[in-house]
Order: sequence, then C-alpha cells, then structure tokens
Amino acid sequence: MNHQCHWTEVENIFLPREATIVRSVQATPTETHFTLKMTDGQPIEYEPGQIVELSLFGYGEIPIGIASSPTRKNTFDLVVRSVGRVSGAVTALEKGQSVYVRGPLGRGFDLTKLRGQDVLIVAGGIGLCPTRSLIQYILDRRDEFKRFVLFYGAREPGLQLFTDDLTMWRTARDVEYCETVDKGDPSWSGNVGVITTLFPQVELTPETRAVICGPPIFYRFVIRELDMIGIPRENVFADLERRMKCGVGKCGHCQINDKYVCVDGPVFSFADVQGLEEAF
Amino acid sequence: MTASFIRSDDFAAFVTAIIEAGPVYGPVAKRSRFAFARLETPEELRLDYDVSILPPKKLFFPPAQDLLQFDEAGFRAPLEPTEKVLLGVHFYDVKAIDQTDLLFSERNYDINYMAHRETTTIVAANIQTVSSRAFFASVGADVQPKGHDAFLTAIAGGYVLETLTERGGALLKFGAFQPATDAQLKEAAAVNAAVLEQCPEKLEHGTEAIAAKVRAAFKNEAMWTAMAADCFSCGTCNTVCPTCYCFDVHDTWNVDQTSGQRTRYWDGCLTEDFAKCSLGEGACENFREERATRFRHRMMRKATYLNEKLGGPACVGCGRCSAGCTADIADPVRIINQIMAS
Ligand SMILES: Cc1cc2nc3c(=O)[nH]c(=O)nc-3n(C[C@H](O)[C@H](O)[C@H](O)COP(=O)(O)OP(=O)(O)OC[C@H]3O[C@@H](n4cnc5c(N)ncnc54)[C@H](O)[C@@H]3O)c2cc1C
Ligand code: SF4
Ligand code: SF4
Ligand code: FES
Repeated sequence: MNHQCHWTEVENIFLPREATIVRSVQATPTETHFTLKMTDGQPIEYEPGQIVELSLFGYGEIPIGIASSPTRKNTFDLVVRSVGRVSGAVTALEKGQSVYVRGPLGRGFDLTKLRGQDVLIVAGGIGLCPTRSLIQYILDRRDEFKRFVLFYGAREPGLQLFTDDLTMWRTARDVEYCETVDKGDPSWSGNVGVITTLFPQVELTPETRAVICGPPIFYRFVIRELDMIGIPRENVFADLERRMKCGVGKCGHCQINDKYVCVDGPVFSFADVQGLEEAF
Repeated sequence: MTASFIRSDDFAAFVTAIIEAGPVYGPVAKRSRFAFARLETPEELRLDYDVSILPPKKLFFPPAQDLLQFDEAGFRAPLEPTEKVLLGVHFYDVKAIDQTDLLFSERNYDINYMAHRETTTIVAANIQTVSSRAFFASVGADVQPKGHDAFLTAIAGGYVLETLTERGGALLKFGAFQPATDAQLKEAAAVNAAVLEQCPEKLEHGTEAIAAKVRAAFKNEAMWTAMAADCFSCGTCNTVCPTCYCFDVHDTWNVDQTSGQRTRYWDGCLTEDFAKCSLGEGACENFREERATRFRHRMMRKATYLNEKLGGPACVGCGRCSAGCTADIADPVRIINQIMAS
C-alpha cells in the first residue's frame, strides 16, 4: 500500500471527548444555549466559524457551530435548536451533565481576509450562533478591524437569540448593530421586515468584507443586496449548512457538487462556490 | 518482484496451508452467483467466478461497523483487526480498493477502515469468466491496479504467482512454488491481455472527454429527469459499487438500556433522505429532493468529481450496478454513451 502512516500510530477520528455543561439557558422555546467546559480541563483550540460534532451516547452525533470566540478561554458556547432525535435529547440536558464533542472541525472564517477591513455580518435566525464566534472575536480585538456593521434578522421578537448580547450591541459604540423581525408584536418598536430591509439603513462601501449566515433561502436574497453595493464575490463569505454525519470528509452527506462542507467549509468564499450548481 | 509457478496439483495444498495459517477470504459460490467469504476448504474457492455480489471492500468497510461502544463506565473503540489474506480479487476491484485506500487515508486518516486494510494481504487473480455487464477494459484504462501484494494467473497446468510486496512474498513458503519460466510469464501476460478483449460493454470515449462532457451536462435537467424516471431510490447501485463509500452513523441501545454502540452503515446518495436537513418546527430542506438530482450526483461522482484526486474515474467497470438495478437504468456505459452522443 502506498500511504505513509500505520494505523497503530494514528488517533481515531471518531472518538469524542467529554465536556461538562457549566451553564444551560433556555434561549427561546426551542433553543438552548449551553456553555461547555472540557471535562479533562484541556480546552479545545478553535477558530471562529469552526464546528464540533456534538453527541450523546445512545442518541447520536450532530454538527453544531461554535457560538463563542476563542478569545474567551476555557469554556465555549453552543446553541442547540431542538429539531429531532439528537438535538431533542441534548436540549433537555442541564447544568452538570455531560455531552461529548469531536472537533473543532472544518474551516472557519479566514481572519487574514477580514483584519484591517470594514466588516459586515449578516445573520438570519440561527445563523447568529456560528457568526457570534466572529462577532465576539471582533469585539475583543476591535482595533484589528475597521468599521463593524452587524445585521440580525429573527422571525419574531420572542425568537431572538443572545438577548443579553443584543441589549449590549444596541447601545455599543464599537458595532453598528441593526435588527429586524419578520413579524412584530406589541412589545416590538423596531424594524419589521425581512433582513434585506436593513440594507437601506446603512451606507456600505464596495470595499466592505461581508460574512453571511442564515437559512437556505436567505443567501440568494442577501447576495443580491451585496452585488448592488458592488462588493466583489471573493470578499463575501458564506457559512453553509448541509446534512452531516462524519464531519471529517468521509461519509459523503455534506457534499455540494464536489466540495465537502465539513472539511472545505462550512465557511466558503462566495467566489469559490458560486460556480457550484448545488450551492444556492 | 518475483514470479513463481505452482502446479495445479499442488494448488489445493497451498490454499490449505494459508487457511491453516490465518483467515483467508475468497470468492465462493452463493446459489448461482458468487460472494467473498471466509474459506474453510480449498474446494470452496471459485477462481472461475465472474463477479462477486458485493465488492471485497466489505472486509475493510463492513456494511455495519461499530465506531465505538459505550456503557455507564465510558466508551471505547472496539477495533481489533486481524491479519488475513484476501484471495482472488479481480484487477478492477483492486483499482477500486486503491481508491478507497486513498479516500479513507487522505486528509483525515480513518483508522476504522485503514486498520482492516493494513492487516490484509491481497492476492489478485486473473478474470476467468467475464460478467454479463462488465466494461472494465474501456473505463480508466490508463490507471493500473497497485494495492495488491501478489497477482495469481491461471495458465496451462498451474498458476503463475507474481509477488509484489513483502507480504506477497511471505506467501511463497506455504506452497510448492518454483521460479516461473519466461514462457510461463508470457503465457500469463497473454491470458490477462486476452480478457480485456472480452467485455460485453464498452465506453466509446476516453476519461477526459467523458469527464468534460458529463460535467457540462449538469444543467440538462430534462435529460436527467428522463434518465431517472424509473428510479426507485433504492440505492442498490450504491450498495453494490466497489468505489462507493458513503455511510450513515447512528447510535443504538442494547437491551439493558445503559450500554450501546455508535455504528456506521453503508449509505447511498440515491436514497431519498441522503441530503435532507431538519430545520425545526417540522420544516426541512432536502438539498437533492428530486430523484434526478440524486441520479445525477452519482454519475458526477463516478465520471468527474473525483478524477483529479484519483487520477482517473471513480468507476472501474465491474458492471455490478448495471446488473443490480431492477429498472436497469444505472448502467454507466449507457448513461455516458448517451451523454457523449448528445
Ligand atoms: C455547519 C453546521 C452548523 C450548524 N450549527 C448549528 C447550531 O449552531 N445550532 C443548531 O441547533 N443547529 C446547527 N446545525 C444544524 C444541526 O446540525 C441539526 O439541527 C441537527 O443535525 C439535527 O439533528 P437531529 O438528530 O436532532 O435531527 P434529525 O432530524 O433526527 O436528524 C437526523 C440526522 O440527520 C442529520 N441532520 C439533520 N438535519 C441536519 C441539519 N440541519 N444539518 C446537518 N445535519 C443534519 C444529522 O446527522 C442528524 O443526526 C448546524 C448544521 C451544520 C451543517
Ligand atoms: S438507479 Fe436503479 S439501483 Fe440505483 S437507486 Fe435507482 S432504481 Fe435503485
Ligand atoms: S459505478 Fe457501477 S460499474 Fe462503475 S464501479 Fe460502481 S458498480 Fe461498478
Ligand atoms: S459530514 Fe461526512 S463528509 Fe462531510
């Protein structure tokens, strides 16, 4: 056989590590915000935008984007929406209980392309979770970046995530934060409308670097706005979601044409994927 | 590399000796067809088989394989590979194994496949009977098989065994081998060349021309829809394919409800839910919802996507998918020749 290593010398990529839940907050009716600490005390080293495979024995394993920045050490955050077998079991867990993680996996945001630039982040729904790793990173290393604009759209006010963060960002001077909901309620005095309605509210230059993450349909609409501003597609970074099983480029589930979201992504430059018929 | 000869009369004793030394897997009859199975006796070995029902990848990549087992005390990997001999693999299946070797070891080295693979001595064998849908001579013709440790060719009065690695060479001590003569080697080469003339099906174009045209046909929705019209999404064309390696992973409990296992199972991109994502509140997005899109994905994988990485197409022309598809729509030769003619 013509390959270099021998199986006895290689780690098993499918063995997870234990993490303890140090905080668990019911963020919305279906989403739980967890803060985790590796049980052996050895923190995971990751980049903003990377993911982990989160598991519970007997239920299974699911990919989840890391929702906190590596600049905040020792613990990390995950937000899990209850949608099925694994996520349903995980969201029922409480402080002190254990979960298992493999990772970090995949390629996160290419910070070398963002540093020293104006950055716009556009997050729709649960897309705020993985992008929060970058938002926190930028806020923690604010002088490494120029202007910072953040758009966040949720379906309803009650479905907004990270409400403590939102309260802070609304008044913060180091981020220009704009938010919208698809459907308001009596408590809501802010913008109502889809995420694209935020674009006219802020003047953006074609030199801006844009990071976008949201539900599948969201990309087509947002890219149209970015095109209109004149932001070249190689400066647009999309965080994509596909069905995943292995997270390590083997099982085939996450493919977009010949790319693997789990190892080539989940963050892609728009220019790299726009030629792929299965991307958007 | 050394080339040896063993007389037909001595061959059974050789097979018996390697069976006694450790597990040996080879083609055996299974009703009217053939399957790779553990050999108990040399008589079971059917080197005259045409094609096995499932490809030999099942030895390294079992249809169900526990990745880990868990209980209240913790979890562990149950991986315990054993040294074994895989005897009688046709060259097209060796080419397929070369591909899965690369795919499981590149980027993230997968010990669950590689451990079984690295503990296997592969003895390839010449094709004595050509199966009814084979086209191995015309697909990826410039890619040579390389992962085998030895190559066995039946000639008049016995077999030539060419050993290519240390593992292959280690087999010689089990049988009454003598150095092969030039005439015997020539005869073996002629036998292996002759079989390439016997495929019932044939691709009409080279790898690169096919790759370019199949890729360019991606957006021909009408064509894919017509081709996939009778597809049941059963995934048989994936299951029987020696180069397919997709899998699903899920956890199951044992009856005690405290212990269990995380297992990977063969999966196939033709099945309906292969790319389906749950989004919450009952919503989901199936990124390949139409069967035509799944049918197309398989052909893209076989003819174009992996070519650069593999140095050739991800199809070795075994014809298993063609024969296995109830609707008889999976045959890469027909699909590709139709695209090339369009
Ligand atoms: C890059 C990436 C980042 C993600 N980040 C988050 C996050 O931060 N928070 C969050 O709540 N969810 C996130 N998801 C989605 C999350 O992985 C799915 O909700 C989860 O896999 C559903 O699993 P289940 O077993 O509960 O559902 P089931 O419907 O029972 O799913 C069965 C299996 O299919 C696969 N699957 C189903 N839906 C998805 C999906 N949407 N994405 C990927 N695989 C899926 C999984 O392997 C899952 O185990 C992310 C997905 C990806 C690909
Ligand atoms: S092409 Fe044939 S074998 Fe493949 S999924 Fe469709 S019906 Fe099944
Ligand atoms: S695609 Fe069909 S003919 Fe080609 S290797 Fe797979 S099963 Fe064999
Ligand atoms: S999740 Fe298995 S290949 Fe990407």
